[in-house]
Amino acid sequence: MSKRPEVEVPGVKSRPCYGSVQLQPRARLHLFIYQPDAQAQLQPLIESVDPSSCLQFEVAGTALAPALVDALQSAPLASAIYLAGDESFLWDMRNLVRGNGFTERQIAMLQPLNSARRVFCTHCYTLTEGVTHSPMVCSGCQRPLLVRDHFSRLHGAYVGVQINAEDPEDLPQEEPLS
Amino acid sequence: MSADKIEVRVAAIAQVAPLIREFRLEAVDGVLPAFAPGSHVVVEMPAQPRPHRNAYSLLSDPRDPSAYRIAVRKQEQSRGGSLFMHEQVSEGDLLKITPPANLFTPSWYAKRHLLIAGGVGITPFLSFLPELRRRGAEFELHYLYRGSQTGAYSDELAAELGSALQRYDSEQACRCDLGELLARQKPGTHVYICGPQSLIDGVCSTARELGWPEDAVHYEAFAAPAPGNPFRVELARSGRVVEVDSDTTLLEALESAEVDVPNLCRGGVCGQCATRVLEGSIEHRDTYLSADDKARQDCIMPCVSRAADDRLKLDL
Ligand code: FES
Repeated sequence: MSKRPEVEVPGVKSRPCYGSVQLQPRARLHLFIYQPDAQAQLQPLIESVDPSSCLQFEVAGTALAPALVDALQSAPLASAIYLAGDESFLWDMRNLVRGNGFTERQIAMLQPLNSARRVFCTHCYTLTEGVTHSPMVCSGCQRPLLVRDHFSRLHGAYVGVQINAEDPEDLPQEEPLS
Repeated sequence: MSADKIEVRVAAIAQVAPLIREFRLEAVDGVLPAFAPGSHVVVEMPAQPRPHRNAYSLLSDPRDPSAYRIAVRKQEQSRGGSLFMHEQVSEGDLLKITPPANLFTPSWYAKRHLLIAGGVGITPFLSFLPELRRRGAEFELHYLYRGSQTGAYSDELAAELGSALQRYDSEQACRCDLGELLARQKPGTHVYICGPQSLIDGVCSTARELGWPEDAVHYEAFAAPAPGNPFRVELARSGRVVEVDSDTTLLEALESAEVDVPNLCRGGVCGQCATRVLEGSIEHRDTYLSADDKARQDCIMPCVSRAADDRLKLDL
């Protein structure tokens, strides 16, 4: 039917890659779920569907509006879901939607809004949001972490590992993440 | 089949429908490996001039390590595997099987499971049911059969499942309206089909028309490879030539010639046996390769597919 929403980048095993998103032509209901700044990204898709078969939800923060919860529970089997926002939002929503019984192919993720990453510390398991540079400091254990391209779909996060455990003074230069 | 075959003893045989027999297989040594719902094994039957090897779904409870149970439908037009099971195998006989492999497993993301079985296609679902019930999963089973031939376990299932089972005996003019059945399914439902290709095609096209996502539709075909014209294969690496007669599959002919080709389903589904073709045109009969792959004519699934003419040259 449609392309898988994400494919693997060759060589880097688990970094998700976001292709272009097309409307799923056979869907009876199109649900657009986005963060406040990401609606513009979805606009061309939204405009191409009949308003009577389209629902839009803006999600700020982590709380889901009861209307969205209802919509997910009552959406027909022939529904398509389109997600836009930053990368951790995309994966949190995807996991939530999957938990409601939607399949992989029903969910399309747009290009993340920015390059900020959520990082999962492999030492204390704390998640640090909005990381833009590597190395970074873990918000849980304060260890200096190197941000890897290894991505956990469950956490919507990249793995952070302590650099140079013997000599924490000897840190590599900070570089922006792409 | 590779070296890790398991030797089993036929502990019991039961006629479970006019054309279906059940075989209870127990390990000769040690215990049988655990398996996941929907798994199958390939049974090797000591026939002459070459063994038959057919894949059968395990229908026992996956948590029961004491035996595997399989059910075999007698296919008069088949190349002999099912007839051998029906006519030559007795209690106490020894057979060889592969360890269980699984190509048809429940999706545990689903909110509900709609199971559709046709005839002997009930078998994989018998291993689904104990697991679905242990997990408290919501499901319904729709069972289509012809009372004078198949319909195995139908009364036991009715007693056990109550309203979660719908039976359709086509000889009692009881038909299943697939359009209506699929249209009333709730969100989060996955559908599983095991049965003849016509049933699988019917459900798949109905689901597509309704706009269901493709990955909510799961199926397993159990068609045995059909006979075809005889042909000859040349093995490019060894320079050998192998003849394939009309009742033998290419995979079987290669096995008889002791050429090892990995395989799992022996039904053109899994893609394990993919072999490169250097010359000759292929009659594709598998459901694994895409239409584009097939058109390239450079790869064959020897478990079901054959030469379109009288020869093939393989990269073996
Ligand atoms: S063994 Fe599965 S496709 Fe041939």
